[in-house]
Amino acid sequence: MIHLRQSIVPMALFAAAAAQAAPVKIGLLETLSGPQASTGQTYRSGVRYAVEKMNSAGGWNGQPVQLVEFDNQGGPAGASDKLKAAIADGVQIVVQGSSSAIGGQITDDVRKYNLRNPGHEIVYINVGAEALELTGERCNFHHFRLTANAQMRTKVLVQGMKQVKALGTKVYSINQNYSWGQDMERAIVDNAQAGGYQVVEKTLHDVNKIQDFAPYIAKISASGAETVITGNWSNDLLLLMKAAKAGGLKAHFGTVYLDQPGNITNAGDLALGHFVAHTFNAEAGGSDGERFVADFTAKTGHAPVFVEPQAVYGLEMVAEALRHTKPANGQLDVNAFARAMETTRVKTPMGEFSMRAADHQLMMPLVVSMVSKDAKYKADGTDMGFKPVKVFSAEEASVPVQASCKMQRP
Amino acid sequence: MDALVFALLNGVIYGLLLFMVSAGLTLIFGMMGVLNFAHASFYMLGAYFAYALQGLVGFAPAVVLATVLAGAVGAGVERFFLRRVHRHGHAHELLLTFGLSFIVAETIKLLFGNQPVDYRIPPALDVAAFVVGSQQYPAYRLLMGGVALAMFAVLYLLLTRTRVGIIVRSAIYKPRMVEALGHNVQLVFMGVFAVGAALAGLAGAIAGAFYTTSPNMALEIGVMVFVVVVVGGLGSLGGAMLASLLIGVMTSFAVGVDRSLADLFAVVGARDWAEGVGGLLTLKLSSLAATLPFALMLLVLLVRPSGLMGSKN
Amino acid sequence: MAHMRTSIPLLLGGVAVLVALPLLLSAGLLNASVQMLIAALFASAYSLLSGRAGMLSFGHAAYFGVGAFATVHAMNALNGTGLLPTPLLPLAGAGAGLAFGVVAGWFATQRTGTAFAMITLAIAELLHALAPQLRGWFGGESGISTMRMPAWGLNFGSTTQVYYLTLAWVLAALALLYFHTLTPPGRLTLALRENEHRLRFLGYDVHGLGVSAFAISGLFSGLAGALQVVSNESANYVVFDAGVSASVVLNSYIGGVTAFLGPALGAALMTFFGYAVSDATQAWLLYQGVIFVLVMMFMPDGLVGLLAVIGRLVRTLGIRAAPLMAGWLLAGLLLVAGGVFLVELVQRLCSQDYRAMARVGEAWPAVRLLGREWLPAAAGTWATVLLPLAAGGGLLAMVHGAQRRWLTEGAK
Repeated sequence: MIHLRQSIVPMALFAAAAAQAAPVKIGLLETLSGPQASTGQTYRSGVRYAVEKMNSAGGWNGQPVQLVEFDNQGGPAGASDKLKAAIADGVQIVVQGSSSAIGGQITDDVRKYNLRNPGHEIVYINVGAEALELTGERCNFHHFRLTANAQMRTKVLVQGMKQVKALGTKVYSINQNYSWGQDMERAIVDNAQAGGYQVVEKTLHDVNKIQDFAPYIAKISASGAETVITGNWSNDLLLLMKAAKAGGLKAHFGTVYLDQPGNITNAGDLALGHFVAHTFNAEAGGSDGERFVADFTAKTGHAPVFVEPQAVYGLEMVAEALRHTKPANGQLDVNAFARAMETTRVKTPMGEFSMRAADHQLMMPLVVSMVSKDAKYKADGTDMGFKPVKVFSAEEASVPVQASCKMQRP
Repeated sequence: MDALVFALLNGVIYGLLLFMVSAGLTLIFGMMGVLNFAHASFYMLGAYFAYALQGLVGFAPAVVLATVLAGAVGAGVERFFLRRVHRHGHAHELLLTFGLSFIVAETIKLLFGNQPVDYRIPPALDVAAFVVGSQQYPAYRLLMGGVALAMFAVLYLLLTRTRVGIIVRSAIYKPRMVEALGHNVQLVFMGVFAVGAALAGLAGAIAGAFYTTSPNMALEIGVMVFVVVVVGGLGSLGGAMLASLLIGVMTSFAVGVDRSLADLFAVVGARDWAEGVGGLLTLKLSSLAATLPFALMLLVLLVRPSGLMGSKN
Repeated sequence: MAHMRTSIPLLLGGVAVLVALPLLLSAGLLNASVQMLIAALFASAYSLLSGRAGMLSFGHAAYFGVGAFATVHAMNALNGTGLLPTPLLPLAGAGAGLAFGVVAGWFATQRTGTAFAMITLAIAELLHALAPQLRGWFGGESGISTMRMPAWGLNFGSTTQVYYLTLAWVLAALALLYFHTLTPPGRLTLALRENEHRLRFLGYDVHGLGVSAFAISGLFSGLAGALQVVSNESANYVVFDAGVSASVVLNSYIGGVTAFLGPALGAALMTFFGYAVSDATQAWLLYQGVIFVLVMMFMPDGLVGLLAVIGRLVRTLGIRAAPLMAGWLLAGLLLVAGGVFLVELVQRLCSQDYRAMARVGEAWPAVRLLGREWLPAAAGTWATVLLPLAAGGGLLAMVHGAQRRWLTEGAK
């Protein structure tokens, strides 16, 4: 279904209608144009579906929930501008997922705004930014991370691959040289003992600048590694895998972003036998999973892929918390909403979601899958799909609260 | 030893790919003084044309057609856009090509979507050429290198041994004189632009199958092509070849070097101090592999601004 | 400087409007205005170098970014100790921009023309590539965050206060830049552009002049970067991106470098365009590219040049200029309407979701645009595309021909 964003109701109308119930506005602050637009647009489609579901279940306070979309023009400065525009529009819940840099900007801007405007707080619902510091040094009462992080993903990836004996004892870590890649590298080293492997070498490379990964494949080959674990995404992952195939490298790949649309089509058969740690696999979701896929496909025209399920179920948490938040003076009290979020639990086809109050990290199940032709749901229009290897419950996938998180509660 | 051979081979092939794309740019610059920001867009167009046509006519004809189409687009750009702004100066030409690169990238996104598209090497070509140690070397890379070398040879021969080549070269130095001698310099300019664009399109059609074909292709290779052209010397074909190989090999070898400036300081026993300072001193060369070409460009510009093989004028 | 002569009252009126803006605009638009002011200052600083001194720099984001990071570190280090209160913080950025401008300029101005441009590009690209790796200075991927501290009785918490602070600095900086153009070194930069050899033969230190122009440009670029940090309270290494350098060049030339306020005007308009249109349509970058190309081809002197042309038309043709203006405007609107409709239609038809739905059904389903459903197979849809384009094109040809006729008549 293709539709334009909802219209903006001027602030004046709100003031005039103070006696009536005010609808809650959710602002989607995404990268909708420019080089990284594809991911932002994927989050958008998931969020749109979720908001429609909220409204068909009655909205909030007798009014439909309004979704307002903003294009952050691809960078933190644009995100900051659009956040101010969103606040001026009356948005109280800000949703973003495609970039950790933008996530960091938004969480700080939200914290400062709330400090300066007590009583008019806003909250940041993070559906995709996985940098560890967002629930570490930058943890913030008005930020909720509704996705995993590097530590969680690596933990389950290692356990999943070990279970099917695809891990081996020599692991090579190659990642992008920025916060996410560095988080992944640390996680890979941290899990060495639990996984029973030795990290033979660690490499960090420039982000999105390398076309030719052949030299890296040569290094991997020379190190004798049996498995390569990488947090690379987009071109960096695709080119790495293509170079691996071209060089005849016989190692298993454990990845986090293999299910990004376009990867499987482009990789073709060389993707077979590689692993991914992701948040949703319909095949492992049983009948609930099937129903979700069918409903999503009917409403949007395509099956849910990549980050769409986590956006949908993340907003499901938001919807559940909203249901338990009584309006105050006809409006949403964001602090009450946040407190409700901390105790919200939601059932999903993968398992139960719950929120950890200490750092506002979602306790969520994760699933490790392998690319195979036997998968029930095919990806990207090819004959391959992701076959679930193991589903890890929320407790199994969780990692402890970081010591650097000193959350200040209102 | 194996690693060295591989690094050399990889570097050379990557360098040859850079040459394929930058050959056209350096010719265009040498001839018309236009630094064409849209050049990498022709690279991207070549890849997308080939992808679109591959389903209809097969791989090899698609590559050929893509080259021709890219050349046609180049001719159109020169005739209808650049010619108009030529008299307003270099800044305007540059900005025009910049705007055009935006338009091409966004139109491709409009028509083909934001995701990388499924443009792959045909299975027949997807084989290993030889094995060194435990690693295979794909035949397609050798094909890419071969095409680049053939391109160099053809261009060189065209420019130095044919009548057309003589006219083109003299039009670079003295366009008014050439015009006075009765040649249609405007047609020559358009031809050079078209050939440059076609070469970039050929590079895109061939490399797009091996690497990825996505709307961000132009951005990815665009800056590196500029570095090559500047380092090699604006207008010099031999310089472009030399610079491409240099940058390709340098990038390839740097990946294998896990040392930093702190290691250099270790020679004089100051390693701990260097590591304490941190920052630039502890950056490993391997993680800077893609940054080195810019440092090289800066060095060349300061020491020998006309490039390694450019003429001083 | 053509329109400076006549427009002192216009200038004062403009300043009055700017001062009154917080009363007229909503908070969102006010924040956009802050960004527009910053972009205007950056473009004016840039055109000092490229428009007046004729040195086309492709890496000006470097000085903007250096100013930004210097300011964010100053904010975090001084943190309200009173040493450098919030309103004076931009001085830190200006200082850093000046220092880096001197160093970079010393190297860059040793060459001219394309080599100069490439050196500036290389400096900016090197910074952009190194910055994410030097986490202590540039904060890695998520940048460095800070907070404005209260000073001088104001808490700088609201957008209005930030707006007035930015406005004050931008007006002061523009005044200083204008004053610079009146001083001897400022006039000499024009000579740099016109004939460098002659300047050298007249005995001036050409290299020193180049460095000074570069340094002053760097100073005000750093100031603009500082103002952005004061407004956004954070600095991120993406500020060194080639896109930022490119956009300042484009803004300057779209505004027109022949007049002092041209680049500022171009920057303000293009910033507003990006802000407003990016939320309305996904294809806004395409429209931006088209605007760049059209301006470069048909308005080479930028908007300022366009205003000058209009002025000339009015003077030559008197009252007959009015129908011409109306004709141009109408033709433009029709072409824009038809073009935008076509692009939006194609964008929806080619999108993944639509293609998936089209594969499922037999006939191509309708597309939602402007609140209505349009069937791609229907003639009405294509008529809505072709009619405005044809009408606009025809009107354009008519008006162009009429203008040419009337001008030659008027000249007789």
